[in-house]
Amino acid sequence: MNDQLLLTPDQRDALQEVTNIAMGQAGAQLAQILEVFVQLSVPRINITESANIAGNILQLVGTPQSVTAIRQAFSGTLRGEAMVVYDENGCRDLADLMGYEDDIDRDSERELLLDVGNVLVGACLNGIAELLQAKLSFSAPTIMAENVEVGRLINPQQLTWNYALLVEVHFTLEVRDFTCHLMTLMPEESIVALKSALDAFMENF
Amino acid sequence: MLSPADFIVSEINAGIFMLDREYRVLLWNRFMAHHSGLESEAAIGRNLFELFPELPQKWLVKKIDSVFVLKNFAFTSWEQRPYLFRFQHNRPITGGIDYMRQNFTFMPMRDESGEVEAVVVTLLDATDSAIYQTMMQGAMQKLEESSNRDGLTGVFNRRYIDARIFDEIQRIQRYQAVPFSVVLLDLDHFKRINDTYGHLAGDEVLREVARRVQPGLREPDVFGRYGGEEFILILPQTDIEGARAAAERIRFAIGSETIVSGDEHIAVTASLGVAEFAPPFATAAEVTQAADEALYQSKHAGRNRVSVYVAQQSKVG
Repeated sequence: MNDQLLLTPDQRDALQEVTNIAMGQAGAQLAQILEVFVQLSVPRINITESANIAGNILQLVGTPQSVTAIRQAFSGTLRGEAMVVYDENGCRDLADLMGYEDDIDRDSERELLLDVGNVLVGACLNGIAELLQAKLSFSAPTIMAENVEVGRLINPQQLTWNYALLVEVHFTLEVRDFTCHLMTLMPEESIVALKSALDAFMENF
Repeated sequence: MLSPADFIVSEINAGIFMLDREYRVLLWNRFMAHHSGLESEAAIGRNLFELFPELPQKWLVKKIDSVFVLKNFAFTSWEQRPYLFRFQHNRPITGGIDYMRQNFTFMPMRDESGEVEAVVVTLLDATDSAIYQTMMQGAMQKLEESSNRDGLTGVFNRRYIDARIFDEIQRIQRYQAVPFSVVLLDLDHFKRINDTYGHLAGDEVLREVARRVQPGLREPDVFGRYGGEEFILILPQTDIEGARAAAERIRFAIGSETIVSGDEHIAVTASLGVAEFAPPFATAAEVTQAADEALYQSKHAGRNRVSVYVAQQSKVG
């Protein structure tokens, strides 16, 4: 791997710190939206090789059973895609929290997956961007896969990058039986941009 | 004179409007005015939900609030929620759908301190995409349907029949449902018909046999061509006696009248074999094999008859 892509120990610490702070804020904001307490894990940060991406995701999600996932692109100072991976139960339990009334049909359920995903992605990435004084904009999320094995979420043969930075957080809601994983993937050129943003962040503190 | 930015917001061929925290309209561009019939002077300052009571308020409030709180973009897509506003679309003649399909983006507009002071909403008309997608789905469905059919006779093909037998077996194993029966049907002396009257006549015979069988079928029955001059019938929730009776009716329907091809009148009969999917059968191959054995008995006993598979006692010694 090109050394340029490796985070120095300081940069890694700073990124860990930034994501921790951002997740804390995200948790508070999500609680405000969903009106329930949201628990976020400590973010896990990895540089992953495209050939190993499926295995890495499987390791992070930690279950071989079928999942449903959405994806959403972000661009600006940092460019990449975020994925939210739901287990089999999806997020149907959250329907009322997101303002859905009555029983929801298949399309509403998809919309709910997209809505919840968008909220989680936005809460986390905006927090990071703000701390790093990066500008981000988002495009509409789309369904990436429905009821597939975790290992098949991404087809490594279709990837056009070699290395990517993978940041993973998982969410649990205390009162509901809900958990999901947020994975943010940034390709090579964004890693370089992120490294300089981290350097600037450290200089300011 | 308008600034370029104001001009664009006003005239662009997409909906743009802006809401404050109380969902009051702050901006309402020409596209919105044009499609809603509500001029911007009439909309500005009014509560969006009072102006459009048909909007899904609870859900939309949540969405808009999330933009204020999270300072985040939010989206809706026509694929899940076809429209929010009941707007006419620009394909009134050729469209075939009720209201304009709409994609929305909700954007936080921040003040100098970084707080969100308003939410800007854009509406893109996705009607054309929706129409193309509907057309594509229709085409896919036709393709799927035609890949299940036998080209000559129009009845189901072997691939589809095999899949349906598999489904039936799954259903039985999952729900302990009533077993099904299989009827195999083979035209008698078909080679002789081909040799005597030619292949075109032979094809006409196959088509006519398929036509004669179908009126006697029930809705859940699945009838198809299994290959050459062999047909197969799946009878869900039917025991061996019911299947035998159905097979007799089919045999009669096929042989009752000669088949006319050009000037020729061709006498056609069929031999049939019947088997029920019951223990110890566990696979599709086993039950079709059993029906095939019964069919062989019909052929052996002189053709133009129905035989039923009876499980043989296991031989001792």
